[in-house]
Amino acid sequence: MAFATAVQLEDVWKRFGAVEAVRGVSLRVPAGCIYGLLGPNGAGKTTLIRMIMSIFFADSGRIGLLDGQKTLAVKDQLGYLPEEKGLYKKMQVAEVMIYFARLKGVAADVAQQRAAELLQRYGLGDYQERRCEVLSKGMEQKVQLLSALIHEPELVILDEPFSGLDPVNRDLMRDVILQMRRDGKTVIFSTHLMEQAEQLCDFVALINKGQKVVDGALGQVLASGGHAAVLDYDGDGHLLRDLPGVTRVNDSGKRAELFLAEDADSQALLAALVPKVQIRGFALRTASLHEIFIRAIGEADDA
Amino acid sequence: MRKIALVARREYAEHVRTKGFWIGVLAFPLILALSVVVPVLLSGTKQARTYAVIDHSGFVLQEVEKSILAEDLGIVLRDAAERYRDGGQAWERLPDAVRAAAKGYVSLDEAERPALIQDLAAGGDEVAVGLVEWWQQVSAEELEGLDLELSRSRYARVEVGDDPPAALNRMVNDGSLFAYFVISPDPVASDEGCKYISLNLTDQDLRRWFADEVFQVVRARRIEQAGLDAETSDWLQTPVHFAERKVDKRGDEAEVSTVDRVQQWAVVPFVYLLWMAIFINAQTLMTNTVEEKSSRLIEVLLSALSPFELMAGKIAGTAAVGLTLVFTWVACVVVGVVVAPVALGGDVASIVGIASTPLYLWSFVFYFLAGFLLYACLLVGAGSLCNSLKDAQSLMLPLLVPLIVPLLTMIPITQDPNGTLARVMSYIPLFTPFVMMNRAAGSLPLWEYLATTVLLLLSIYFAVRGAGKVFRIGILMTGKPPRLGEVMRWLTAKEDISPAEREADQVS
Repeated sequence: MAFATAVQLEDVWKRFGAVEAVRGVSLRVPAGCIYGLLGPNGAGKTTLIRMIMSIFFADSGRIGLLDGQKTLAVKDQLGYLPEEKGLYKKMQVAEVMIYFARLKGVAADVAQQRAAELLQRYGLGDYQERRCEVLSKGMEQKVQLLSALIHEPELVILDEPFSGLDPVNRDLMRDVILQMRRDGKTVIFSTHLMEQAEQLCDFVALINKGQKVVDGALGQVLASGGHAAVLDYDGDGHLLRDLPGVTRVNDSGKRAELFLAEDADSQALLAALVPKVQIRGFALRTASLHEIFIRAIGEADDA
Repeated sequence: MRKIALVARREYAEHVRTKGFWIGVLAFPLILALSVVVPVLLSGTKQARTYAVIDHSGFVLQEVEKSILAEDLGIVLRDAAERYRDGGQAWERLPDAVRAAAKGYVSLDEAERPALIQDLAAGGDEVAVGLVEWWQQVSAEELEGLDLELSRSRYARVEVGDDPPAALNRMVNDGSLFAYFVISPDPVASDEGCKYISLNLTDQDLRRWFADEVFQVVRARRIEQAGLDAETSDWLQTPVHFAERKVDKRGDEAEVSTVDRVQQWAVVPFVYLLWMAIFINAQTLMTNTVEEKSSRLIEVLLSALSPFELMAGKIAGTAAVGLTLVFTWVACVVVGVVVAPVALGGDVASIVGIASTPLYLWSFVFYFLAGFLLYACLLVGAGSLCNSLKDAQSLMLPLLVPLIVPLLTMIPITQDPNGTLARVMSYIPLFTPFVMMNRAAGSLPLWEYLATTVLLLLSIYFAVRGAGKVFRIGILMTGKPPRLGEVMRWLTAKEDISPAEREADQVS
């Protein structure tokens, strides 16, 4: 089934007592893309996701899924990997997966077959009949991810999928996300790591304090941040201040991001740098998502 | 519905796989079997208390021996007469000497019987000699085997050897003698000098029994000295006895049998088992809920089903576990009814027969289900508020306090199943299952069953709704469990705190 819009939020609000967790968020997630929901901890990302998953219900506003359907009606076509997750310790690995598949409406025999297939493919074939309590942390993470996908959902929502993963599972997670897109499915994931989003996402939305700050195609969002120079250097970072045409410096010690004014001359900048520090690399590019986000939050706070 | 069934099935499968479940299933038949087998085994090792008597009076011991014999023979013959009337194995098992005497005994009417016993005790004809001989030789174990409880089964007198007090003291000291009595030269005049010497000061049965026997002898002498004739003294000593009768279903007066006596008490094990089944299962449900919550499974589950479906599935699954337990127990009783008469015969069979009365069995199943649902809702709601087993334990205590009450009232209600206490408690839903089970022997009117059941079902309905509300909010909460006031606010909120239901209505 091909959908045009995976998720459509219109002016969604959610209060918990005195706390306004989500304040009038509207956004559209096109089908078949990888969508990044970005924001600092406590921005309201998880609440937003829980509302999309119909674990919570919005106080007001509309949520349409898979071309405007009600959340409860399409529950079985959604996959969800919460940030906090677990397995039934006393159940066998394959059993847990089958159970989750059956809860999502997959027939018993199909569920059984898929569980065996997935475990085999991801190197857990020998663990099918072992209890979950014997799994290592990394294996557990794999099983959790596979359990979220076993019913072949149209839309998968991953809450902070990369946090706590070892490098192997990090790559696995990335591959799975990319594979989903190849299959024409939609992936939404939340993260507070901008680099991750920058590498993976087709679209992003920046959330802060329960409100959307920026959203759009990754390229557009990045372009809105203006130009920057990335400098790899050795030397005294203090010398990077007061350079010609540079509006702001984001110095990490060995690498610095220099944000350029509209009319800045990169050649002049490079020349100014040469006597000050040892240059190992110098590249011109758009501002990073990180920078855009910091700026956007700053503006919001000023306002 | 389908998802509820899935949750229930998983819950059931997980329970059935635990050791605790099988211990629970096997414990009851094991206890049942042991309670039948152990006394039989123990009876083989049962020993009568030994005692000796130093009689300075010269006549008391002799007379006491005679009266003990008469009393024992009276017990034997009354029992034998009852068995003769019922017929069957219990009668066949009695030795020939007893049966011969018993036949003579039953041929007489009530008033003539005491005289016969006196005659038999005095010896005389062949039947009497045979009976007395049997009594003198029979051992405590044999009596146990015959289901006869005589003084002979409990107390055995040993002869006093030379050097009485010193030798007896030694024997008491080394444990070969339980106690000995010293009877003063003239106990009729005064009991001064009568002594009971033993190391065991807690078990007073022997002392009371023997003192009573001696008193009877002494009293007879005193009556004689007072110049009363035998008839007058008998008349003076005749106690007032009230014959126990009951009213049967048609409203007529009828005889009371052992079965009737047992029937009343047969509910006690049922109440107790009911209590255990509800307690164990409701508690497991709570622990499970907390576990699911603390292992962070809830969010994944809730992305697939609604909180209510999850809760209903958990309750249904645990109820199925409980029913499995309850039905195996019931099956044990039913099997016991078939097996027991063959293995044991007599009274035991009729007791098990009473226990398998359909009213009892179905009350047991129904009240388990109803009681479990009620307590399950309380505990699953409470469980949803807790983040750790520690939280749960401190919450569990106040919730389970009401469960103690039916245990405390079990005996008084059994004694008076239609009394005020029983009636009032029947209408308190938290107690209804236990108390109504407890009252099952009281032949309650139908309307009382109906009224209490309606009340019980209504409270289950409200409990399910309330638990649903609390569960939906509590299950996703982290941090400290909320205060009671906060929970009450969730319960009483007219409009749902989260508009989940409204949304759900729109979809379905």
